[in-house]
Amino acid sequence: MRILLIEDDAEAAAYAAKGLREAGHVVEHALDGEAGINMAGAGDYDAYIIDRMLPKADGLSVLARRRDGGDETPALFLSALGEVDDRVSGLKAGGDDYLVKPYALQELLARVEALGRRRSAPAAGVTTRYQVADLELDLLSRTVRRASQKIDLQPREFRLLEYLMRHAGQVVTRTMLLENVWEYHFDPQTNVIDVHISRLRSKIDKDFDKPLLKTVRGAGYSISEDD
Amino acid sequence: MAATQGLARRSEGRAPILRIFRTTSFRFTFFFVLLFTLAVGVLGAFVYRASFGAASGQTDQQINAELTALADLFAENGPGMLTRVIRQRTVWRDDSIYMLIGAPSGAVLAGNLTALPPEALTAEGGFFDFSYERPLLDAAGREAGVVSRPARGKVLRFRATPDAEQSFLVVVARDVASREFLRERLAGLFQRILAATIVLGIVVGVLFSRSLLARVETVNKTARAIRAGDFSRRIPRSGANDELDHLSENLNSMLDQIERLMTGMRDVSDNIAHDLRSPLTRIRNRLTDAAKAGPDERDNALQATLEDTDRMLATFNALLSIARIRSGEGAGAMAPIDIVAVAEEMTELYEPAAQDAGFSLTLSSKPTPLVKGSRELVSQALANFLDNALKYAVGGTRIEVCAEPDGAKGAVLSVSDDGEGVAPEDRERVLERFVRLEESRSTPGSGLGLSLVAAIARAHGAALELKDGLERPDGGVGLCILLRFSAAD
Repeated sequence: MRILLIEDDAEAAAYAAKGLREAGHVVEHALDGEAGINMAGAGDYDAYIIDRMLPKADGLSVLARRRDGGDETPALFLSALGEVDDRVSGLKAGGDDYLVKPYALQELLARVEALGRRRSAPAAGVTTRYQVADLELDLLSRTVRRASQKIDLQPREFRLLEYLMRHAGQVVTRTMLLENVWEYHFDPQTNVIDVHISRLRSKIDKDFDKPLLKTVRGAGYSISEDD
Repeated sequence: MAATQGLARRSEGRAPILRIFRTTSFRFTFFFVLLFTLAVGVLGAFVYRASFGAASGQTDQQINAELTALADLFAENGPGMLTRVIRQRTVWRDDSIYMLIGAPSGAVLAGNLTALPPEALTAEGGFFDFSYERPLLDAAGREAGVVSRPARGKVLRFRATPDAEQSFLVVVARDVASREFLRERLAGLFQRILAATIVLGIVVGVLFSRSLLARVETVNKTARAIRAGDFSRRIPRSGANDELDHLSENLNSMLDQIERLMTGMRDVSDNIAHDLRSPLTRIRNRLTDAAKAGPDERDNALQATLEDTDRMLATFNALLSIARIRSGEGAGAMAPIDIVAVAEEMTELYEPAAQDAGFSLTLSSKPTPLVKGSRELVSQALANFLDNALKYAVGGTRIEVCAEPDGAKGAVLSVSDDGEGVAPEDRERVLERFVRLEESRSTPGSGLGLSLVAAIARAHGAALELKDGLERPDGGVGLCILLRFSAAD
């Protein structure tokens, strides 16, 4: 992915850029809002990572100006602020995701990759079926099959699997699951997500040879065919 | 900034007496004195006019009447009769004064004035005030000298016929000594009253403004002491229960609020220090060891370090959340929410984890009025209750989430367990820790959860309570922790 990182803190930017490059992305860096707007206009990017507080033009207005110009590139806001209100204002300005500093690099990677997926499948609303190996999920009939065997899932388990399969092959963090499947923006101290995952795993993986739902240490989970 | 401070200090340091002139109370008093003086003056003028104005008018009327009568007498009977009548009337016993001067000789024909007052020549035909000399009689009735007395009179020229050359000058006057004496007494009296009013006003004003200044000074002194770092200082009340006392109370409660906020901030920074130092130390030690170890140990150390830093990030976020909730931010997302829905969702989220930990997690709910709040924050509080129950309900097997109405419009959200519970006498202390966030926390993170809940409760105006939880098989009771919400408006 070609990523434009707009961040005034050079050290934080270098760290994020290094992590993203190691994960195979191309990263270009703008140091302030004006430069960010100019670079975004000049280059074709797959995702923007924009700090909320920037010199010259703040992050919200940078994205708002791009969106006014018809730029639909997915964007993720980085913020030292946090909390629900800030998240809402970020999303209102056209942001697709919101990450509070300090963040774990794994979290940033996972979210950026999720953004990229959103772009490569622009007609997401049309997709009604997901498939990973012999695991199938049908959104219309709300059924899940593995090797043609029907698997009964609770509604929440269904949504959990749907989210994982929509991001098949990518790492999905616990926080992303909490935000997108349960719509909570705080981290419980109990490992609630892990237990939900292991329940889901017992339903979709337990009786089959090849496990599909994998734990990525220090990051989260991933559903994929390959090891 | 520095310049204005310098200015303020300079005016504070000015001589006290000058400062009094600059106070509001002094100006107030000054205008009052002015007003009183004016009132006394107007009153004096009124009294003067009412008494002496009338008396002097009466005198003038009498003189006019007498002159008219004398003029008639002269017209009917001629100068001889006039002279006789005036002579008859000229007796020193009463206050009447006459003078008849014959023309063209200029000789005094009758009357008790020894000389024509100079004022009479300029005031021909009109009234004039003058002084005359009058014999002073001793006790035996003998003359014992002369005394000069004030008088008021009128002078007229009588002619036998309109074109007659011979004319007589007639002066009729009244002795006004007693009246003048009274008038002077009264004027003196008013002057003294006026002086007394002004002096008294100034004295009262100075005393009043000085006592006011003294009380304002205590406020200033307290403010200076607080500025100097003694934040426990409060403005003393005078006990008069007046506006200044109310001001002191308001300032004091404002200071209390600021102190609470400052304590909150200090707590947060203390907690940051506490919660981040131990993992940082741990990470440092681990990395030091890993530097000397083989590749496998290094990998393990890195993995453990990663997990530690994740926990630190979580701690950091929790601390920031507490600070933000405490400072009242995040309250913007308050809307009517359904406590039952929150309870259902959280029960669903926690049920597998509870089962894993050996608890059966159940929900009991009744339809509940909506309360004003943030779904996110209330869920977070409930998550903390559940985290705590899972961590501390030692020996328990059941956890019950309960959402039910409280009175007509309120709602109660509770988590009960059948663990060891907390003795009733200790509950207050436990809650204190919830609210105050001051005790050292032996289990990392747990104290933060409690203070987060306390901050959320405060943001919602909800009460945080502990009571008996579920019964244990051995007859004891577990703990129930609840949030009591008041109605959504």
